[in-house]
This record gives sequence, C-alpha cells and structure tokens, in this order.
Amino acid sequence: MVPVIIVMTLIVFSIFYFAPGDPVSRIAGPNVTPEVYESIRRKYGLDQPFIIQYLRFMKSVIEGDLGVSILQERPVIEMIKERLPVTLEIGLLGFLITFLIAIPVGVIAAVKKNTLVDYMCMSGTLLGAAIPTFWLGMLLMYFFAYKLRWFPISGYGTIRHLILPGFAIGLTNAAVTARMVRSSMLEVLNQDYIRTARSKGLFEKVVIYRHALKNALIPVITLMGLRLGWIIGGSVALEIIFSIPGIGRLMVDSILARDYPVVQGSMIVLTSSIILANLLADVLYAIVDPRIRYS
Amino acid sequence: MKKALRGIVVLLLLVTFLLGAVGGCSKKASTKASEKVLVIGYDRDAEIMDTIKTSWYSDALIYIHDRLVSRDYEFGYQPGLAERWEVSEDGLVWTFYLRKGVKFHDGSDFTAKDVKWTIDTIKDPATGSPFRADLDAIKEVQIVDNYTVKIILNYPYPNLLFNLSNTAAGIHPANAYEKYGEDYGKKIVIGTGPYKLEEWIPGDRTVLVKNEDYNWGPEWMSNRGPALIDKIILKIIPDESARIMELETGGIHILRNVPETYVEKLEKNPDITVYKNPATKLGYLAYATDKEPFNDVRVRRAINHALNKEEIIQFVFKGIGEVAYGYLPPALKDEYLEESSQLAYEYNPEKARQLLAEAGYPNGFKATLSADNSSKSSKLAEIIQQQLKEVGIETRIQLYDSASYADMLKEGKQELFIREYSWPNADILDWFLLSERFPYPNHSRWRDPKTDELIMFAARRPTWAERAEAYKEVQRYLIEQAVWAPIYVPMNIIAVRKEVKNFKYHPWMLQYNDGFDIEVE
Repeated sequence: MVPVIIVMTLIVFSIFYFAPGDPVSRIAGPNVTPEVYESIRRKYGLDQPFIIQYLRFMKSVIEGDLGVSILQERPVIEMIKERLPVTLEIGLLGFLITFLIAIPVGVIAAVKKNTLVDYMCMSGTLLGAAIPTFWLGMLLMYFFAYKLRWFPISGYGTIRHLILPGFAIGLTNAAVTARMVRSSMLEVLNQDYIRTARSKGLFEKVVIYRHALKNALIPVITLMGLRLGWIIGGSVALEIIFSIPGIGRLMVDSILARDYPVVQGSMIVLTSSIILANLLADVLYAIVDPRIRYS
Repeated sequence: MKKALRGIVVLLLLVTFLLGAVGGCSKKASTKASEKVLVIGYDRDAEIMDTIKTSWYSDALIYIHDRLVSRDYEFGYQPGLAERWEVSEDGLVWTFYLRKGVKFHDGSDFTAKDVKWTIDTIKDPATGSPFRADLDAIKEVQIVDNYTVKIILNYPYPNLLFNLSNTAAGIHPANAYEKYGEDYGKKIVIGTGPYKLEEWIPGDRTVLVKNEDYNWGPEWMSNRGPALIDKIILKIIPDESARIMELETGGIHILRNVPETYVEKLEKNPDITVYKNPATKLGYLAYATDKEPFNDVRVRRAINHALNKEEIIQFVFKGIGEVAYGYLPPALKDEYLEESSQLAYEYNPEKARQLLAEAGYPNGFKATLSADNSSKSSKLAEIIQQQLKEVGIETRIQLYDSASYADMLKEGKQELFIREYSWPNADILDWFLLSERFPYPNHSRWRDPKTDELIMFAARRPTWAERAEAYKEVQRYLIEQAVWAPIYVPMNIIAVRKEVKNFKYHPWMLQYNDGFDIEVE
C-alpha cells in the first residue's frame, strides 16, 4: 500500500509541477501587481524547486498531516472529512442498487439462457453499460426531477437528494455486473456438482441459489472491489451535475485552481480506500467460499 | 449459504429503510413555514469568506459588510458608513465623518478604529491582500476622534471613492484576526451589514439571516431599516442546465449571469422575468503588440477592420449584447468616450486587405489565436478565425484552461488572443496598458511612453470630472493606435421568479435589503 501511494503522489505532484498555471493567480485575481504575486507565491513555498516541495509535502504526510489548502487556508484533512462521507453515501447507495439489480437479472438470464427473457436482459444491460453515468444522471434528473418533480433537482441534505445520483451509478454499474453474474452462473451451472445436486432430486431453486449462485459470486466480488475506483470516478461528474459537495467535486475544483495540497490529500485518501476495498473483497471470498482460507 | 441469505435479507431491510426515509423526508423541515427565504443560484463558490484575502469573493459579503461609501442605482457614489466626507483643496486629505450608532454583528460599536484596522490590514504586505495595490494611493489613515477619520494620500486620487465602495472595502471590526483566529473568514465573518452569516458549507451553500438591528441603510434606499426577507441562501449549482431547471421549478428564485442561449426559453416562461442591462464588461481581441507583425499599427487597424462585430454577437450571444467601439464599456457614463463609435474602425474587409498590403503583407500572414476553453470563448475563436481568414490572416486556434491561459500570457507566448474584462472603473486601462504592468497583466505587451503619460495624468487628476475628461483622451489615443480590437459589451442577464417582489436592478450588487420581498406559499 505504501509504495503505491508513494508512486501515486509522485506522479500527481510532477503533473502539477510541470503543468502550466498556479493557484496564486486564482487568489490574487487578474488585477495583481508582480510584487503581491511573488509574495503570495513565497508564502506557500511555491518558489521552491520541485524536489524540496515534494519532500516537504511527503514529510508532512508521514507526520499524518495532509497540509493546508492554498486557496481555502484550511487543513486538507478537515476538508476531506467534510466531503468524503458525502461521496461514500452516494457510492454505497449505488453499490446497493447495483447488487439488487445485477444479481436477479444475471441469475434469471443465466437460468433462462437463450430464451427471449435472456435476450431482453442482455440487450438491456448492453444499453446500460453503454450509457455514460453522467448522461444517465442528466436523463434521470430531467424526467424525475424536472418533469415529474418527484425529487429535488440538485443539492444535498436529505435522502431524496441521493436517490437520483445513486440510481445513475447503480444502473450503469449493474449492467456490467449483471453480465458478469450471468456468465459466471453459466459456467457454474455446467459443473459436475450442480448435476449431482440436481440428480439428488433437489428443487431447482435450491440448486440455483444454494449451490450455483454462491460459487458464481466469487468473480463478481472481485469485480466489485475493482469497480470502486470506477464508481468514484463516475461520481465526479455526477457530483457536478447534481451539485453535491463530495470529494469528486472538491478534486475537480482543486485541480482547476491548482490547489496542490488538496488534490494530493484527496488522492491519498482515495487510493488508500480503493486498496482497502480490494482487501475487503479478498476477505469476502473467504466468507462466500469456505474453501478459501488465508493463513 | 445462510450467510449469503442473511446478506440478502440485510440488503432488503436497508432498502425498505431507505424507501421509508424517502417518504418521510418529502419536505425538509429546516425552515419555518412563515419564514421568508430567498434562494439565489451561483455557478461557483468562494474559497475564503474574507474580502481582505481573496479576489474571488462570495456575494454574501456584499450583505454582511457595509462600506464607507455606497453606490446607488445610477452608478453614483453616496454616503454609506461615512455620513459625509470632505476633500482638501489639493486633493490629498480626505476627511470621513462616520455614522453613529452602528453596531457590528458581534454587538461591538462601529468606530474610527475599525476603519483604520481594515485599511491598514489590506495595506500590510504581510497580509498578502490582492487589494493592496488598489489602495496604493493611501499614505496613512489617521483617527481624529471616534467618528472622524482622515485618509492622507500620496497623490490626488479621486478614484478613492470607487475603491472604498468596492465589496473588497467592506469594513471589518478592528483586530478581527486576533479576536476570531483561524475561524475568521471560514466560520465567522463580522460586518455591520443587513445580513449576518449563519452557516457556510463550502461548495454547497451559504445561509444569511437578517440583521434585526439594522437601521443605517444609505439615504438612497427606500428601506433603510431591517430587510424584509428573513433568510438568503446562496446555493452553488455548478452545472448550467441544472441551474436553469432549478429556476424553472422554483428551487432558486434569482439566477445571475444567465447564459444568452437560455434567454429566449426563460422569457417564454410566465413565472420568470428576465432583466438585461449592459454590463461593465468588454470583450476584445488582443495581440502581442511587441511582436511582428502586430507592432505595425497598419496591421492592428487591419485586424480591427476585419471584424464584423454584429455577426459575432449574433453568432455567439444570439444577438444579446452591444457592439464595443472603445476601450471602456458605455455603462461607465462619466468616463466613456461618446465619439468612440465614430472614431472606431468599421467592418471593411477591403480596407483591411489594403492596409495589410501597405504593411507588407499582401497575402496576409499566419498566427495563433488563443482563448480559454469556455464554450463562449471557443465559439468566439471559431468565428474570429473565419473573419480573419477573409482578409488573409490564417489562424490556428489554441484553447487553454483558465490557469494555463494566465500562465501562457505571463510567459508571453501569445500572438492573437481573446479576452474579456469585467470591471466597473476606468482604472482597468491602468492595469492592462501601463508599461509597469508588463508582462502581466499588460498581456497585450504594450509599452508606450505616451500611453503611460496619458494614463498617469488621468489617474491623478484632483477631481472626478477632470479625471473623467483625461481618461477620454486616453481612449482617443488607444483607438488611434488600435491597441486592441474591441468586440462586444455583454449584457448582465438576471432571471427573477414571480415570487420575488419589488425587484430592483442594481448595476453592481443587488440590494436585497432595499425593500425586496418574497411571497411564501
């Protein structure tokens, strides 16, 4: 985990260092004299060479301090604490919706393989996978908030605000996951032990849910762990469309304003959480498949 | 297996819970039914809630603070926290007589020491205030007594009234930084204005509540007492179409800076009134005047002749906006040069080609055309490219994000480039065209002793009227030299919902405390 974070910060840091633009123009505004400009640059150590700036940054990270935002003059950790839960709320809701749709659809498609139901499920998921999350978000907003007025158009504060962005993430993600569930189920259904189960005279339902689904879920869980990064990426666009003050928007705003410490800090937190999610997926294998044991 | 089943049951329970919560939260109960709440939509938030420390301030600060000088609906400078003021004969000593009985939101009295602290803090290099240069003319602030302040200037500077009436010049209580520490400008902001800061969630919303004690509104306001609206919420909605939908459905009541493309649609909506007024902004095509071939005045004039401004306004702004002839927007009535339209270069591609030939470019030339990557600027670049091509100037468009654009201009890589400024004062010409501002913000790289002389003369006239006259002379010279190619003056477009009563348009800041009201259902 540590090497990944070091490489990641180094990449982000160099991109920022070598990219044009700096945060001072944003603070100082267009009507600023060179003296004021330089004094603000010095104040944040932006006049220092690359390696000094980077080492200084890493030193404070090791000390558990993600630094202070250049633009907001607030500790980065405090800003992340405000924003991360918001993104997680939407992400979790999205995950939940993903599972609730993907598993039944995938199982039904697999069981009714090569029937009309299967074809419908599969073309539906193909469509879902092809639609970009932000576009789906805009469509949902247009129909359910603007036309039907069931939900607020934008903002954050109540659960009603989370439903549309949650569905936007859930639906697109469910499409990919459902296809995964289907193919994984098909594979499992051809196994000998399924035939054995059937020949034991078990009900088909029991065969499918107790014997097949559980084994089919293992690759799906890996996929979901890996999808976490994708979900956060997708929520950046959604946070902008739905005016949600989450970490994605914080990052985009900070990138545009070249507020390095905030971008670095959020990247560290996000990278760690993605690594943790994959770890969690590994742990989940053990629960789903008792044959897997970590020693 | 049992575990997996249990998982599914847990998921189902969660869903039921969520759905139940959705039903329960149908109306957020944070505001009382009788409370009058005005919601205004914005595209981006401020980073710091402090007029002293940032140039991108939140509109909330207009209402949290009062300033020594206020501006009325007609662009006039009127008493604010200062009841009246006197200027010495030589224009160097300004005496401000302060209003008595004014209280800050924290209950302390407003006195001369607050004025001194605010100005001194802006002027202190250690603060790093972007407004420091605006107050360069001020030598020192002297406290005569509790309610009298003398401002001593380095040179005559009638524009002090403008700088003291800016949002940036909002008066803070003395020693606010020591008193409130780190939280000042983040969680706490103290002013004497008609609204107090209740809550600021960066990137989401700012909530202001009315100051019940307020009774020191300036004379030109119809309502000088407490505001009629109880709460103002400034809501950040970054997505353009979401902002429009919020306005149409009543999620916000007022939207400023409505994009031109939505005006027609909103005007058809019976619930919404759209106000359009010429802004104090100017959009222009500039060029690096120290580089070939732009160092030749004939080439610069040719570029001016090549632009069909009406067509540009039609194409980019759907016809909403005015043709710009001079270097200042006409809304600055005192300083604007009326004869600009006669002096300016009319659209005449034939003449442009002729001038280019005279300058030694009978077949035109090639150059880059830079702009920021907003949809507006890229559209502008597109049509300007086309019009320049007509006269033989081949351009390659290069788009930058705003931070890289500023950097590129600073490094001096530009040839032709598109800019728009927004500033309600003639001193914008000082910023962009004085040699001492080279290379930034003088990004047209214009170093010319005559311009310097004319501008410095204008900026330091002892009276407002003389200053205005002198700036007209500056504009005559700039037009003659074709330093830029002015293109358009955009409109300030504000859309207001029917629930808002007594809406009055103000060119600088909407004075919601001046009798604005709102209907509650």
